[in-house]
Amino acid sequence: MRTELLRRFLTDRWSVVALAFLLAMLLSSLLNGSLTGFEATATSSDTLIGPSPVHWLGSDELGRDSASRLMFGARSSLLVAAGSALAAALVGVPLGVLAGYFGRAVDAIAMRIIDVILAVPTVLVALVFIAALGPSTTNMIIAIASASAPQFARLARAGTLEIRERDFVLAERAMGAGHLTIMVRVVLPNILAPLIVQFVVTAAGAIVVAAGLSFLGLGIPPPEPTWGGMLQQAKAYMYQSPWYGIFPGVVLTLTVIALDRIGASLRRAMGSTQDLGRASASAPGRGAT
Amino acid sequence: MRAYVIRRLGQFIPVLLLATIIVWAMLFALPGSPAQVLAGEDATPEQIAAIEARYGLDQPVWLQYLTWLGHLFQGDWGTSLVNGHAVAQLIGDRLPATAQLAVLAMALTLVIAVPLGIAVGLHPRSWYGRLTNGFLATGLAAPTFWIGLLLILLLSVKLNWLPAASRFVPFWESPVGALRHTILPALAIALHASTVTARFVASSLSEVMHRDFIRTARAKGASEGTVLRRHALRNALVPTITVVGLQLGSLLGGAVVTEVVFAYPGLGRLLFTAIDGRDFSLIQGSVLVVIAIFIVLNLLVDVLYAFLDPRIRFD
Repeated sequence: MRTELLRRFLTDRWSVVALAFLLAMLLSSLLNGSLTGFEATATSSDTLIGPSPVHWLGSDELGRDSASRLMFGARSSLLVAAGSALAAALVGVPLGVLAGYFGRAVDAIAMRIIDVILAVPTVLVALVFIAALGPSTTNMIIAIASASAPQFARLARAGTLEIRERDFVLAERAMGAGHLTIMVRVVLPNILAPLIVQFVVTAAGAIVVAAGLSFLGLGIPPPEPTWGGMLQQAKAYMYQSPWYGIFPGVVLTLTVIALDRIGASLRRAMGSTQDLGRASASAPGRGAT
Repeated sequence: MRAYVIRRLGQFIPVLLLATIIVWAMLFALPGSPAQVLAGEDATPEQIAAIEARYGLDQPVWLQYLTWLGHLFQGDWGTSLVNGHAVAQLIGDRLPATAQLAVLAMALTLVIAVPLGIAVGLHPRSWYGRLTNGFLATGLAAPTFWIGLLLILLLSVKLNWLPAASRFVPFWESPVGALRHTILPALAIALHASTVTARFVASSLSEVMHRDFIRTARAKGASEGTVLRRHALRNALVPTITVVGLQLGSLLGGAVVTEVVFAYPGLGRLLFTAIDGRDFSLIQGSVLVVIAIFIVLNLLVDVLYAFLDPRIRFD
């Protein structure tokens, strides 16, 4: 079954391209400067130049190589993307399964809290968290994960509600399986498909929100290069060097497109026609407007 | 229907209360107090204590919360910890600017989204269908603030057509000035938001086109244009209202990042300033307003939806 999934995923050419792009990004982020010949934080006197044979994508106000900084910036972007999606899933899924499985009071309380968080735009929840915790990579992950966990909880709850009374679950119960065993070994594997898609969707959103926070100066503090931070700097030098503000956005957008494509193709491969309905509608746009 | 509206309204107050509790809990769980921020980096403990006493920050958190809530019910939203202005006044001043931006942005969103949605919905495999799909994927992935930056680069820096930083010029005072100052941020939002809306239009349109009543209309000899306008679009646009309403709701709460990019004086930038300066009373007040607006819009959307589509019944 798993190979069948993989085969169906690989038949979509564009998602293979997307995957290759992300892997290349990951690799280049690990080779600090050895591809471009410049370290990401090394300054020079060539400030704010456009694309050139030496500095492929130009340089910034301190003469640092933009290409190197973009590659290095992929590190924190991908880390925040994976980290916040993982953390959101780890918090949201158990909550949703518990709410769906036990129903009644647990369900009512959990869903009210979730509705409130969903009523607030992601970037706002993240902003409040960052204001509270201070800017750092870990806090950024905590902030975005907190804003994204409700989506996981909602999906997990819906899935659990759907299969809770099905024969194979009842059969497990009749055979004497405990609640925990049923939830982890029976319910969870059966509701996994939409959650995996949501993981990719969250990762893509996290990249945008993280860039938005960095753009506001509330992200990962400098000198560590981030895409959002580069765009924030670029805004100040728009008149001197327009290229400065273009490339980070292009790389960011391509990364998000790649993740979107993989998400869409996974959804198709798993045959999940599950309509996210209001859940996706409650996030009008990417949440970083 | 009426029972449904009443029940939804009944949920309004508890949800708002819950929201305030969550925000309070978050803000007070954090290291570093607002008094510390107000007093500055190198304040003596005595100075901090004095400030805490003055703003009631030395009270237990639950007591502070209840006091705040009590004042709120009497119409007193408190004063900004940073500049001493009344919170209600500060928010009230920004609301028109945000409303103007939100309305213009939504209008542009619809203008862009509906034709694109129709193109993809009717002919997804055609060359323009594919092209539009590519645009939609790009627009969805590109963050609004970057789109905004590109628009500034092109229309302000290169062509010098529009001001790079926006002021709030009320539409009723100077329609042209208002457009000049609001169109850039509105366009930045619309280019992103329309991709979501267009996908909704496309998917509901392509679904509707396979229904029996469309075949009936065609069989009766109606032209394709009439089928599209009179039969298909009317039905396809109903679900779109949901997403447009929710988008409007979130925009009315202030487009934080976009407003900061364009230095647009709306609710979003107010909230950003408040969060940046740890202006607790202002954060409380504005978050409350943002959530209230969103919930009200949500309710309106659901009611409108039921009104437009009588098949929908809420139990």
